[in-house]
Amino acid sequence: MQYRGNFSGSTPYIVRYKVSATGLAPGVIVCAAPDGSSGEIIVTAATATANQVGSLLDAANSRTGETLTYSTTQGAEEAAYSVIVNPDQILRALMVSGATGTAMTQDTIATASSNGLTWVGGTSVASPDMDQGTVWYTSGANVGRSRKITSTGATVTGTVIVPFAANAVGDTILYAGISPGLQGITLTTSVQNARADIAVATGVNVTTISMECNGANDSYVSVVLTDHVFAQTT
Amino acid sequence: MGQTILIKQQWTTAQKLKALEAGGKKRNRPAGGWIADLAAQKRAITLCGPCTPKFNPARVGYRKEKEFPVVRAKCDGCSTDDLFCTLYIYEEIYSQVRSTAEERRALAKSREQRIQRGSL
Repeated sequence: MQYRGNFSGSTPYIVRYKVSATGLAPGVIVCAAPDGSSGEIIVTAATATANQVGSLLDAANSRTGETLTYSTTQGAEEAAYSVIVNPDQILRALMVSGATGTAMTQDTIATASSNGLTWVGGTSVASPDMDQGTVWYTSGANVGRSRKITSTGATVTGTVIVPFAANAVGDTILYAGISPGLQGITLTTSVQNARADIAVATGVNVTTISMECNGANDSYVSVVLTDHVFAQTT
Repeated sequence: MGQTILIKQQWTTAQKLKALEAGGKKRNRPAGGWIADLAAQKRAITLCGPCTPKFNPARVGYRKEKEFPVVRAKCDGCSTDDLFCTLYIYEEIYSQVRSTAEERRALAKSREQRIQRGSL
């Protein structure tokens, strides 16, 4: 994930914290470590995150290949890494498909719709349910236009209220179970990217601010952390 | 001619362990050496105004954060909590941890061109 700035427009506040886990990598969301942990921060899980602390800035040791983790060797240097801790920070993540983070799955219009209120593709939008997510065209008459999905009644059919222009067989679309204002996005196993192929409002505690609806390889979502230790106690 | 007598400091175990605490350079360690170690580990480096001129980011593959000219942090040179530090990020991971307006502008321009060509 990429740090984009703060809601308030203030400067980043950077603090070094003692790590308490493996799996830390530059850009990940870190959370407060639970009771009994060796350090102060752990990496977020892919499907849920509580007590967020911020986003990590440091990388592994370039000379030794050492990973970002702590050592239990007596006399070893303590592992403390830099975290941007602003509670109102905005993070930006690439939208991908699958747990390993491959390119978003592009679908193709199978049946034309003249009124622009529905699309019929080739893959299911009902399971995982993309209702309340976002759909946009990547080719055809509607290229670049996006709409909020308002219904996914049939398996491969989605509905919008604000109509597109008439589509045609062969037009391509992308859709995501992500929409501005909704809380919850599932991350990839690396916890670096946002999964667009999961139903809306499931996953880690972040709320979507905005989306950059581009192609299958370069669409992004910007989010704010919603379970931050310096903003609230849960 | 005067003579200088060097007396070896007898550090206690407690002093040695205390010196390993996080949050700044080690006891009796020159700030430059400490920062060079941070740079070798690709760690983010924050320096206050007086310490900034002593660091050459390009020499160790670092990029100065320009979108946020100042950050609040503890200076890695003098261990002072300062409201006006400069942030340096290892160049190779910069795009992994930071999204800049410049990058987003380039993406928006690319998007516009692709739309004109008919395919995103």
